Amino acid sequence: MTTLLDVSNLSVQLANKVLLSSLSFQLDQGDYLCVLGPNGAGKSTLLKALMGIIQTKEGVISLNQQSLSELSQKELARQVSYVPQAHGQQLNFSVINFIKMARYAYHSAFSDWSSDDQQALDHAASVTNTEDFLHRQMETLSGGEAQRVMIAAALCQQTPLLLLDEPTSFLDPHHQVEVHQLIQNLNQQHNISIIEVSHDLNHAAQHSKHILALKQGKNIWHGPSSELLETSRLQALYEQQFVFTTHPQTGAVVALPSELKIGDEQ
Amino acid sequence: MKPVKILIIIALTALCILFVSPYLGLTVEDPAIAHHILTQLRLPRVLFAFIAGAGLALCGMVFQAMFHNPLATPFTLGVASGASLGAAIYVYLGFSFTLLGLDGGVLAAFLGALIAISFVYSISRYQNGFSPETLLLTGVAISFFFSSLILFTQYLSNLTDSFQILRWLMGSLTTVGYQDILQLLPFVSICVAAILWLTRELNLLMAGDDIALSRGVSVQKIRYSLFFVTSLCVGAIVALCGPIGFIGMMVPHICRLLIGSDHRWLAPASLLFGGSFLIICDTISRLIIAPAEIPVGVITTLLGGPFFLWLLIKSRSKGT
Repeated sequence: MTTLLDVSNLSVQLANKVLLSSLSFQLDQGDYLCVLGPNGAGKSTLLKALMGIIQTKEGVISLNQQSLSELSQKELARQVSYVPQAHGQQLNFSVINFIKMARYAYHSAFSDWSSDDQQALDHAASVTNTEDFLHRQMETLSGGEAQRVMIAAALCQQTPLLLLDEPTSFLDPHHQVEVHQLIQNLNQQHNISIIEVSHDLNHAAQHSKHILALKQGKNIWHGPSSELLETSRLQALYEQQFVFTTHPQTGAVVALPSELKIGDEQ
Repeated sequence: MKPVKILIIIALTALCILFVSPYLGLTVEDPAIAHHILTQLRLPRVLFAFIAGAGLALCGMVFQAMFHNPLATPFTLGVASGASLGAAIYVYLGFSFTLLGLDGGVLAAFLGALIAISFVYSISRYQNGFSPETLLLTGVAISFFFSSLILFTQYLSNLTDSFQILRWLMGSLTTVGYQDILQLLPFVSICVAAILWLTRELNLLMAGDDIALSRGVSVQKIRYSLFFVTSLCVGAIVALCGPIGFIGMMVPHICRLLIGSDHRWLAPASLLFGGSFLIICDTISRLIIAPAEIPVGVITTLLGGPFFLWLLIKSRSKGT
């Protein structure tokens, strides 16, 4: 497999506060990486660094063997797309206009909407199943619908790498499943590489391919997601005891926070 | 209704207002004097009002989009106070110079506006990155600061200068002539051209900085360019006719309710609506207690406040 993204020795500092320190990892083409970690571990900072938003203090991020700092914002937007934490319902746009705006990186000031653009739009809408409400206003959408539109817009950017920041954290269980399935579908059927920031351990263990565990800006574990659900690993990451059981239907291992505090047991 | 139809209606209305308003006012028997009043006094005044109103409305629209806040305008962020202070100091020092054909007062106001916006911007950057909210609060604080400096300048001035500053602070188009239009036009044109050029970027900025950046907008660069051109525009307008408030807050807001928030339509709509609106306010200001006049800034605020509240309540009840 070819390496899509190579982060080496990345450090980010903001006003004397270390947000990421000497972080290194690689992402293969077609990989699905879940970034886990306690609040303030630097997960969102990592996404921002990958989008070229934040000044890095040290280290190199390369996309397809090209350093991120050599790319213009528009060039980067043709490589990396981003779905922010849910706030789609606050936007005062029609769904179709919001998705169309995602083609910005392919346009100059007065260029027309091309057939390529239309194709990207149709594709994004059909994959995310948003065709039925393209002409509604963003404010009228439900949380699940809005999040699918945000993903559709990112898809419309036609990038090999998609970043998602807690895409399901404000959704009810039904819509969580729906969005999780959509993301998995993008990864498996459409070969889009994915980096997702998440707090949902069981989702990460079951659906993603690799896990990057961050704590205080450091990479404390990077490995296949099947190996995530181990007592010592989770305890080190979250400073919280976990117990394990199996899902009655799928038989998959499920982690649950323990009632006991660390040091209480046995 | 389609945006294009709404825009055509706004354009036709603007055209009517532009043609009718110079004929409104006291009539004079002598045709020669009447002709002079029409072409030399009222016509330049109406044209000036249109250009200034259009500029103020567009600058307001840009600020609202950049700070994702309907309360953000060049006035609430202190840019207009900066411009006012520059112009007030110019009056106080009694300078009178022109540079490259441009009036010294305009340059002083532009510098004031630019200093204010750099001030606002650097302070909010110093404090962890910049959130639109921090920027807005900084702007309000700086606005107060500059206002008291203006009062101080006024206090130091002699009675004539002080009165001149006071009248001008109320915002008035009384003494406007063709010369002023020539002074104003280049600044507003540059600003209008830049904003119309950047409508797609404004759409994305309104969706949030993170989204704009991830879509490929060089947010920082666009922000600096927009700060620069709006400072030019607001500086020139404030120097020539004083700070005329409320237009930049109200007009884009009304236009957004009429035509939606797509800046490709919103920008031309705000431009036409803003121009027409200031003409109407100015016409009212010279008719309502004719032959005397009220400063137009008083009218815009008196009209603007209640209208704004009414719209706010109306859109709330419709929204829920």
